[in-house]
Amino acid sequence: MMQMLRNREKRFNLVITLVLLALSIFFILPLYWTAVFATRTLNEVFQFPPPLWFGDNIVQNYRNIEAVFPPFRPILNSLIVAVPKTIGLVLVSALAGYGLARYTRAPGHKMILVVTFATLFFPPSLALIPFFLQMNALGWLNTYWPLIIPALASGFGVVWMYTYIGSTVPKELYEASEMDGAKGLSTFFFVVLPIIRPGLAALSVWTLISTWNDFQIPLVVLSDGSKFTVPLALTTLSTTHYSDMPAVMLATLMGLVPVFILFGLLSRQFIAGLTAGSVK
Amino acid sequence: MASGHAGKTLHRMRRDNAFYLAIAPFLVVFLVFSVFPVIFSLYLGFNRWDGFSDPQWVGFENYARALRDPVFQKAIGNTIFMWFWSTVLTVLLALVIAVLVNDYVAFGKSYFRMVFLLPLLVAPAIAAIVLRMFFSANGGIVNLLSGAMSGTPSYFDWLGSEAWIKPLVVLLVIWRWTGWYIIIFMAALQSIPRDIYEAARMDGVGRWAIFSRITLPLLLPAIAFATITATLGGLQMFDEPYVLTQGMGGTNNSATTLGMYLFATAFTRLNFGLGSAVSWYIFAAVVILTLVYQAGLKRLRGASA
Repeated sequence: MMQMLRNREKRFNLVITLVLLALSIFFILPLYWTAVFATRTLNEVFQFPPPLWFGDNIVQNYRNIEAVFPPFRPILNSLIVAVPKTIGLVLVSALAGYGLARYTRAPGHKMILVVTFATLFFPPSLALIPFFLQMNALGWLNTYWPLIIPALASGFGVVWMYTYIGSTVPKELYEASEMDGAKGLSTFFFVVLPIIRPGLAALSVWTLISTWNDFQIPLVVLSDGSKFTVPLALTTLSTTHYSDMPAVMLATLMGLVPVFILFGLLSRQFIAGLTAGSVK
Repeated sequence: MASGHAGKTLHRMRRDNAFYLAIAPFLVVFLVFSVFPVIFSLYLGFNRWDGFSDPQWVGFENYARALRDPVFQKAIGNTIFMWFWSTVLTVLLALVIAVLVNDYVAFGKSYFRMVFLLPLLVAPAIAAIVLRMFFSANGGIVNLLSGAMSGTPSYFDWLGSEAWIKPLVVLLVIWRWTGWYIIIFMAALQSIPRDIYEAARMDGVGRWAIFSRITLPLLLPAIAFATITATLGGLQMFDEPYVLTQGMGGTNNSATTLGMYLFATAFTRLNFGLGSAVSWYIFAAVVILTLVYQAGLKRLRGASA
């Protein structure tokens, strides 16, 4: 009886697994097909049944993109924005998170903490128009500054570092470090930073990927096509040259590769960054 | 000597000067580029301004004018449709998948933990380009398939169709975001102690009862978190409908969201006052829905306790 029950349970679990497997295909099929189309000719793409396996037209498709725009330029642009922004955002957030986690009795502490938490619920669209006008007034339109400098202050980043430091760095460590004569921020740089490396990594990956994917702010700020970041450049390419679907798909694939490499290397930190908000 | 309280505060501030040093970079950038723009947006909402001539104070006229605009009214309806269906379907689908993977999957758990997440790496704008590969009128995969099955070539313009464009935007959101909520729910499921389940099973409680009486109530905070984030995103939706409709909002504005209306008002028609008023309407919607969720969560918790 017990054995039969267990077998039925096993069979049930197998069915569920297969159903989920089928469902998961729906989630990767678009990406797989993008890659397949990127290697095919225009004729093959329009055939029925559509190609399910890779072809050999990738070099020609690459030449077709190159003829329209330099395909590595947007990737470089995205890196120019994402790398300094990520380093700056993580440092600024870690500093503020450290301040908030350690000096809980400093005057103004509570207010800053409450306001920072509250900004998580502020829709970014609220600041979009004044942000644009501000960038215009500063003469920063069509430069990378608007994508880097204002982004350094991230409510999410500070909350994440505050929570992380509060739960991983023991209070006694601060006292010990003070006893050793640490002054000002030296405790942060020499004692705290090395301990919180996993937290820094998670926030870095999350920031890099979301910056890479950002569309609206670059759309508002950048007008010179040679400065476009990846999503903006691809959107422009796809609306102007959509008739050459394989070439557009190859460009799309090229824009995805850096993110997928990053994810492959650091998926653990990425997932830690994702779950940060929900586990409180 | 300063009176007691002020003196103490001053003393504390001096003692904790490292605190101010640590938060200064954040606070400066935050005040200049977040707080100031939001206050300025409040001011702009009461003015008529094209960015060139002097702003002109008009009181609540922008707020009233938006409400009278048929496109704005349509954008409200579209936004509600997309916010509602994308939130309900992503959160529900993610919940089902997370519970199934956690409790029933026989093999390949780590595969399932990763695979649903991959679409999240794809920028919404890029995902929209990929979706267009499927649904474009000419050579789209869906038309190819339906044409082959019916025997006559099909050239249906999915993205130009008023009826289909909104469900397609929702489909795009489901595809991209479900994995995120799956990860959140799996983390929450893993934090439920195993012995609760074992005790219930020993007492002969059935699978469904275990799920509805134990798992679901313990997942409530994670579900609330997921729903609120999905709502924050859904009410401001911009990238997906913008790219799917090539910035036009679809036939007869059938996919124009509040976010797109705001964008067009400010950056195409250079009406910064009206655009700012719209952004405050979006903010009001976010606040109201968050409060409603919190009240709902409180009631549910009261009922299950």
